[in-house]
Amino acid sequence: MKKRITAAILTLTLTLLCTGGLSGCVTADPAADAQGKNITVAISSDTGTMDPAGSIALTYLAYSVSALDELLTYDENGEIEYRAAESYEVNDDSTVWTFHLREDALWSDGSPVTSSDFMNTIRRALDPASGSGYANYLFPIENAEAIYNGEADMETLGVETPDDHTLVFSLTEPCVYFLDLLRLPVYTPSSSQYADSVDSGWDKDPSTSLSNGPFYLAEYVPEQYFVLQKNDHYWNADAVNLDSITYRFFDDTQSMANAYEAGEVDVATSLSSTVMEAYEGSEDLYVTDQIATRYIYMNLNVEPLNDVRVREAVNLAINREELCQIVGNDTEPTYNLVAKYMKNKATGEYFVDEAGQPFEEDVARAQELLAEAGYPNGEGFPELTYNYPTLEMDSDTAQVIQEQLKENLNITINLEAQELQANYSTRYSGEFDLCRMNWTADFADPYTYLSMLLSNSTYNCSGINDPEYDALVGASNSESDPGKRSELLHQAEQLAVGEQFYIIPLFAMKSVNLVNPDITGIRQIPASGALEYRYADI
Amino acid sequence: MLRYTWKRILTGIISLFVLVTVTFFLVRIIPGSPFQRGGVSGQVVEAIEQEYGLDEPLLAQYIHYIRNILGGDLGISYQDPAANVADVIARAWPVTASVGITALAVSIIAGTAAGILRSVSRRRPVREFISAAGMMSAGIPSFAAAVLLLLVFSVKLKWLPASGLLTPAHYILPVTALSLYPAAMVSRLVGNTLDAELKKDYVVFARAKGLGEKRIIFTHALKNAYLPVLNYIGPASASLLTGSFVIESIFTIPGLGREFVGSITNRDYTLILGLTVFMGAVVILVNLVTDLLCAWLDPRTRRAYRGEGA
Repeated sequence: MKKRITAAILTLTLTLLCTGGLSGCVTADPAADAQGKNITVAISSDTGTMDPAGSIALTYLAYSVSALDELLTYDENGEIEYRAAESYEVNDDSTVWTFHLREDALWSDGSPVTSSDFMNTIRRALDPASGSGYANYLFPIENAEAIYNGEADMETLGVETPDDHTLVFSLTEPCVYFLDLLRLPVYTPSSSQYADSVDSGWDKDPSTSLSNGPFYLAEYVPEQYFVLQKNDHYWNADAVNLDSITYRFFDDTQSMANAYEAGEVDVATSLSSTVMEAYEGSEDLYVTDQIATRYIYMNLNVEPLNDVRVREAVNLAINREELCQIVGNDTEPTYNLVAKYMKNKATGEYFVDEAGQPFEEDVARAQELLAEAGYPNGEGFPELTYNYPTLEMDSDTAQVIQEQLKENLNITINLEAQELQANYSTRYSGEFDLCRMNWTADFADPYTYLSMLLSNSTYNCSGINDPEYDALVGASNSESDPGKRSELLHQAEQLAVGEQFYIIPLFAMKSVNLVNPDITGIRQIPASGALEYRYADI
Repeated sequence: MLRYTWKRILTGIISLFVLVTVTFFLVRIIPGSPFQRGGVSGQVVEAIEQEYGLDEPLLAQYIHYIRNILGGDLGISYQDPAANVADVIARAWPVTASVGITALAVSIIAGTAAGILRSVSRRRPVREFISAAGMMSAGIPSFAAAVLLLLVFSVKLKWLPASGLLTPAHYILPVTALSLYPAAMVSRLVGNTLDAELKKDYVVFARAKGLGEKRIIFTHALKNAYLPVLNYIGPASASLLTGSFVIESIFTIPGLGREFVGSITNRDYTLILGLTVFMGAVVILVNLVTDLLCAWLDPRTRRAYRGEGA
C-alpha cells in the first residue's frame, strides 16, 4: 500500500517536473527553423530605438551595421568605400559637399532609395523631441543648430535635394572631416514612405522597417532577439553570403560567454578579460583593438589642479605599465588622448605613433614638480576625490592609482564609486576633483577626440579654456592639405596632453570576443572597432 | 466578510498610492538623467529633457503623473518612445508569470510529496535523506543554485539550454532554481504539521474505525495540515509572480525582473514607476486572496468574520 502511494507521488512529481515547462508561453526557436547559412550573434541588452533619427543605443548599432548603407565609408586601408552614393564632389573651401546616389539602390521592398530618404532622417533628427543623441553632428550644416534650438525655420536648412539622386550639403564653416561623419545615424537614410516619427513604432515592425543594406529586419521580439534576412534587392547582393543573422539579447557578459560555451550563439562580443585566459590559444578567441581611450579629467577650477606643475606631477607619478598588469590583459598603457589604434587616413599609420610620446613617466621629476608647486613630499596637499563608475575595471584602476600616488607623491586620493549613470551626471555637472572618462570614437578622425577639449565643447567638463589650443584645432578644420592638417592636430595634442597636462591618459582597451571558427569574412569597422558581418560566410 | 474585504481593498489602494509617491520622488533623487549617455552632448540632453517636461518643477511633474495614472495612462518608455509602459508590462508579465506559476506548482507538488513521505515513511534513510535535501535546498540561495545548475547542465554537460525561454526545455533550469527554496519550505511545513496531526485523537479514532492510511492522510490530516502551508504560499507566490531579478538575469529570461533592472539602469522614470505600481498591485492582490482563502478554509476565522460583518 505505502509503496504504491510512494510510487504514485514520485511518478506525479517527475511528470510535473518534465512537463511543467509546457504551461508557459513558448515562442519558436529563431534558429531552429531557419534554412541556409545563418549565424547567431549575442549582443547586450535591448536598448533604444532602431530609428536613425531617434534615441539610439546598442540595438541600433548592431542592426545598422548589417542593415543600413550610409553614403560612403572607409575601409581598413583608409580608402573610400562607396555605399549608397557612387561619387561625390566638394568645393575648394570644403563647405559645399555634393553626393550622387547610386541609381540602382533599392529599399528592401523594391522601392528606390532617394535623396529625400536621407533628408527624412536629418529633418526628424533636428527636432529635439526625437531624442537623437547625435543631432549635434548635424550642426556643421548651415542653420542646423538654429533649427534644433527652435530659432530658425526648417526650410532654411543647408541641405538640398535637386533631384532624386543628388544630395547637397552646405556647411557653415569648412569641415575637412565631413566624410567621416557620414557613418553616424543622423546621416543614414530612413524610408520617407514609412519612417514618419520616432514613436510610431515603424522601426521595429518588419512590415514597415525597410533597409537599404545587405539585410532587412524580418522579425523582432522585444528583449529576446531579432532576425535579419538577406535583402535580395540590395545592389551588392551577390557579395552577401549569409541568409540570415539572428541577434540575441543578453544582460551580462557572463551569460553571453555561457551561451557561447553551450553552443547557442556563434559570436559573443565585448566579454570580460577572464575569457581571454580561459580561451587562451583557442581558435574561438578573437581579440580586437577598441578605438577608445580611458582617461581622467582633472578639474582646473579646483586648487591645486589649476597649477600645471601639479597636473604634470600626477601624470608623471603614475606607472601605467603596472596599472595595466593589475587591471587586466585587455588593457594597454597610453599616453595620448587620441585612441592608440586610430589610423591617420592621410598616412595609413596609427595617428599617435606619428609623433613622439607626449611625456615620459618619471617619479623623481614628479616629486620635484610637486615641491616646486609648494607641496614638498606632498605636505599640505589637499585630499582630492576621484569619482568613477562601479565597473570592475574602473574600481581596480582607482585603487591602483590611489596606491601609486600615495607611494610616489605622498598625496591622498579619496575614492568615490558611483553607478554609471550617476557618474555621467557628476562629470557633466563639473562638480568633481578627478573624474573618470572613456571615449570611443564616433568617427575615424582624431578630431572626435581633440574637439572634446575645446573651450566651447560640451564634453569639456573640467573647465579647460585655452585659446592657443582652440586656434590650433580650429585651423585644422579648414586645412585641406592632409599633411599640414596632421601637423596641426599633433601640435594640439602635444599642447593639451604633454605641456598643459589637462588630462591623465590611462589605457587603451581590447575587445575580447568569441567567434565560431567556421565563420569567415568578419571585418572590423575602422572607425569604432566594432565587428561587421555583412560579407561573412559560414 | 464583505466589509472586511472592502476594508482590505481600500487599504490596498492607499498602500499603492503611498508606494507610487515614494517611488516617484526616490527615483528622481537618484543622480543621472534618462538621456545622458557616454556620447551625448549636454546641449542635446537639455533639449530632450525639456521636450519630455523634465525641466518642470518636481511637484508639477508629480501631479501630472498622478493625473495620468488615474486616467489609466502609465506613460511611454523614455528609452523607446514607441513602447507604452502598459505594453511592456503586457509583454513581460506573461513570461514571468509562466515561469513563476510553473515554479509554484513544482514547489507545492514536490514539497507536499516530500513532506508526506518524510512524515509517513517507516524507513529512516528515506526520512533522513528528505530532511537533508530540504535543508540543503533551503540553505543554498537561488542565484547560487542557478549558476551551479547552469554550469553543470548547460555549459559542461550541454543537456539543457543556457539562455532564453524559447522551448519547454528552457524552463527546466530556471524553474528548478526558483522552486528549490519554496519546495523545501513546503516540505518542512507539511512534514512537521502532518507529524503533529497524525498523533491527534481523530486520527487514532479514524484508524480504530478501520479507515485506510491513504484516506486518513489525504482526506483528513492533510487538509488540516495545509493551513500553515497556505499562509506561506501566499507571499511566496507573490514574489514568484513578480519575477526574480537575479534568476531572470542569469538565464536571460525576458520578464518583469529584467525589465525592472534595465529601467533603473537607464533611469527610465515612467517604466520604473509603471512596473512598481504593477508589482505592488500584484503583491497586494495575492496577499488579499490568500487571507480570504485562509479565512474560508478555517472555520474559526470564518466564524469570526461572520460575527464582525453582522
